[in-house]
Amino acid sequence: MATRVETGATIGQALPTLVKDVSQRRIDVYSGVRPRSIHSDEAWARQKGFRACLAQGMMSTAYVSQMMVELLGPGFASGGTMSMAFIKPVYAGDRLTVHGVIKDRQSDNGATRVVVEVWVENQHGEKTAVGQATGLVS
Amino acid sequence: MALTEFKKLTLDTLQVGDEFVSDDHLVIPEDIEAHGFAVEDDHPWLAEGVAPPTLMANQALHLRHSKYIVHAGLHARMEFNFLEPIRLGMRVRTRGKVIDKYERRGKPYMVTEYITEDDAGRVLIRGQFTQMIITEPEATHGHSR
Repeated sequence: MATRVETGATIGQALPTLVKDVSQRRIDVYSGVRPRSIHSDEAWARQKGFRACLAQGMMSTAYVSQMMVELLGPGFASGGTMSMAFIKPVYAGDRLTVHGVIKDRQSDNGATRVVVEVWVENQHGEKTAVGQATGLVS
Repeated sequence: MALTEFKKLTLDTLQVGDEFVSDDHLVIPEDIEAHGFAVEDDHPWLAEGVAPPTLMANQALHLRHSKYIVHAGLHARMEFNFLEPIRLGMRVRTRGKVIDKYERRGKPYMVTEYITEDDAGRVLIRGQFTQMIITEPEATHGHSR
């Protein structure tokens, strides 16, 4: 993994956003197709009160991981952290935008740890997941 | 041959201290390709011989299914500490332990700490996650995983 971080990345700097179209096909591949699953059985999802199948919250952690790898390369896969809360359902057909803002740069055993506030919004501007991710700049 | 006895998952049947272990999983190219398609990640993982850091996250999330019949649930929180990359061709497994259970606003939750390790026991990822338990009679929404 190439290291892409700009060592001069500053606190308050917004990272390039990622846009994700959460199709049913992508949910099926991520979660697998099963009966009686709100991820892949639309009738079941509707029976449980949802308007469509839901994406796993875990898909949003993959989006944040992608953003952090683009920022830090191997400094995320070895030494990175992520903490996310899933606060609103993501439905098949939603378009998500993944945001990150650098909140801090900390000394960590001779390296610099970059702390990023992250959140995911749907097409209505509603936050679906919020949290923090960190990684190392060697 | 020892058979696993599965109980219906409720806040009462769940025990803090319960331990789980997944099956071993060989990380194959198709896993990485499928993950890349699912989350629209076009990073050249295969060319680099490594996996996206969150590739095996569902191995952790599904641990409770190894001992319980899970009617439904929602994922509330997830934490990762990425210690070493998962590499193509590794055999990985995840071990977990229930460290807390509680009710909040009338909803039951469980907290599991986990490690994902290679077949030599080297820890690759460490973390914890919180899941809501939705029991069968009162389930108004939720999913089997």
